[in-house]
Amino acid sequence: MASNYLSNSALKAINRIGDMMIPRNGEFPSFSEVGGIAYIDDLVSYAPPADIKDLNLLLTILAFMPNFVLRWLLNRMENSMESSGPLAPIFRMLDVGLRGLIFSCYYTEKIPASYTGKKPLDIIGFDLTRVED
Amino acid sequence: MYDYIIIGTGPSGGNIAHNLFKAGANILVLEAGKLMNKKTFPRTEADTSARLYWGGGIEFDTDAKMGFLRTRVVGGTSIVNQCLLDRFDDIAFNDWKAESGVNWFTNEQLAKHYDTVEHALALHTFTANEMNRNAQLFTQSCDKIGVKWGYLRKGQSDCAQERGNDCMACLGGCHRDSKQSSYAGYLRDDIAAGLNIQTETEVTQIVHNGNTVTLHALQQSKPVTFQAKNIVLAGGAFGTTKMLLQSGFKKQLPALGKNFSTHPQFMSFGLFNEEIHAYKGYFQTVASKDPNLRQKGYKLENVFAPPISAAMLFSRTGAYHQEIMRNYTRMTCIEVAVRDENAGEIKVDNKGKLTIDKPFTAQDRRRRDEGRELIANILTNEGAKKVYASPFSVGLHLMGGSVMGTDSAKSVVDPEFRVHGYKNMFVADSSIYPNAPGINPSLTIMALAQKLSDQLIGANHGI
Ligand SMILES: Cc1cc2nc3c(=O)[nH]c(=O)nc-3n(C[C@H](O)[C@H](O)[C@H](O)COP(=O)(O)OP(=O)(O)OC[C@H]3O[C@@H](n4cnc5c(N)ncnc54)[C@H](O)[C@@H]3O)c2cc1C
Repeated sequence: MASNYLSNSALKAINRIGDMMIPRNGEFPSFSEVGGIAYIDDLVSYAPPADIKDLNLLLTILAFMPNFVLRWLLNRMENSMESSGPLAPIFRMLDVGLRGLIFSCYYTEKIPASYTGKKPLDIIGFDLTRVED
Repeated sequence: MYDYIIIGTGPSGGNIAHNLFKAGANILVLEAGKLMNKKTFPRTEADTSARLYWGGGIEFDTDAKMGFLRTRVVGGTSIVNQCLLDRFDDIAFNDWKAESGVNWFTNEQLAKHYDTVEHALALHTFTANEMNRNAQLFTQSCDKIGVKWGYLRKGQSDCAQERGNDCMACLGGCHRDSKQSSYAGYLRDDIAAGLNIQTETEVTQIVHNGNTVTLHALQQSKPVTFQAKNIVLAGGAFGTTKMLLQSGFKKQLPALGKNFSTHPQFMSFGLFNEEIHAYKGYFQTVASKDPNLRQKGYKLENVFAPPISAAMLFSRTGAYHQEIMRNYTRMTCIEVAVRDENAGEIKVDNKGKLTIDKPFTAQDRRRRDEGRELIANILTNEGAKKVYASPFSVGLHLMGGSVMGTDSAKSVVDPEFRVHGYKNMFVADSSIYPNAPGINPSLTIMALAQKLSDQLIGANHGI
């Protein structure tokens, strides 16, 4: 797993947070088991360079946080729509940004061949038909 | 030196470029996004967000409570929209007239422009046998509780439904060229016929030199310059307003950036015992068409969301999230689209970044809450075991920022589509909307663009 845009620590942070957001549970594989992060450059490469720099910095900081701090942060983020105060917009942005990355790498058609389990899109029953002429 | 440079290729720019090209004008079209086609549009939801949308997905207001969607590709936001094409009613035009002082904002005055646009595009009004299960349950329940609904009209030519095509796929660009985006409807054939277009070219500054206009742009990050006798700004509410703001026009035009509205949408999902597969077949065929709701300032749309978007809308993570996603195929969905007050403001910060203030007013909140309550009632009457109201709101119809009006202290564009005080700078896109019509905006954007095209061709501005 390597990225041309995100550092190794940043990628590790995504996997850690991803597993907190989507742990292995019943039929659902955990975020890191699926390995969709292998295609993260397909998403990140289109973001403005300044945003990529900020994302790298943020994820690198998160990578060094202990689990209980990360869990506290995720909880704050999850409840940020109802909260007010000067930090609330930052938590809301973080929430959408991180969930966006993680769900995009999980509910995806692009999964490495090394993952042989049932794909998350199959588990939820999503099977879009495109008739192309 | 070009006679006209048109900036942007959405419903506005696409229409104007097409008309001026057909009239033989010496034009150049500039577009920040890439040229894609039915073969090259993204095939996954994640790639769609990353490749087609400005900001790599979604842009936010300063409070990060509302997200805005707009695209950067030849065809503009019409590449990803549902292409539901409705004329305005008298309520919408009367409110525009009252706010702007522009007296030709009437159905009668715009009828011939609507006619021309409708004639140029393939339109289809849905029928009962085209409803999927999501729509059937919605309409049955509306009938039960007395909410009037109607079939939608969409710009589409051949969606291959009889062969099992799922139209949700066209949220990432229509892979059949059926949807009548401004690319499929206008530009595709013009480009093949030699329309002069430069893509991946973002205009960053407009310099007005009297009889000519100079445009500075970044073409794949390299600075380039263009000159024209006239320019037409068609970058949409954010794009056009941003170009004018960062070129310093705010000094002469104090209303620049103001009066932004967006029809904020709030989705609620209903969980059923039966399999619904709301993403199958035609994506949107019906909506509320109820004079009572129109008067109250909101409407209900029968929609759904692809998996990543649905996961985002449900907001939570962990086991709760997985439980909801496990039931993805047993969900129906209705959204309330609020006819919001134009209290928003589009600004540019000192780094050249867009910042959007979008206060959600007491009236907006009341309309949202009433709509949500009605949706919960409809979903429960449909037989939903549980109703999930998403806390997120999304603005898909970005309107205003460079509004049209007679008074240059309160508006940016005059009734002849000229930026106040600049005879050769025109705007006819969603940025000129004086306030939120509460109706799908695209058809009227094209009708206004058609009116401007006729005006330019008629006045023989360099053609
Ligand atoms: C998911 C979704 C569904 C929708 N469904 C419907 C619907 O069913 N019916 C309806 O009526 N409306 C719908 N809309 C809204 C509709 O698509 C927009 O209102 C409409 O496209 C706006 O048209 P426009 O020409 O003003 O701007 P846009 O379509 O946004 O086009 C502007 C173009 O200008 C380009 N541009 C911007 N700035 C610059 C610059 N500086 N230099 C060069 N190029 C620039 C952009 O890249 C873009 O291509 C939907 C929108 C979304 C996001």
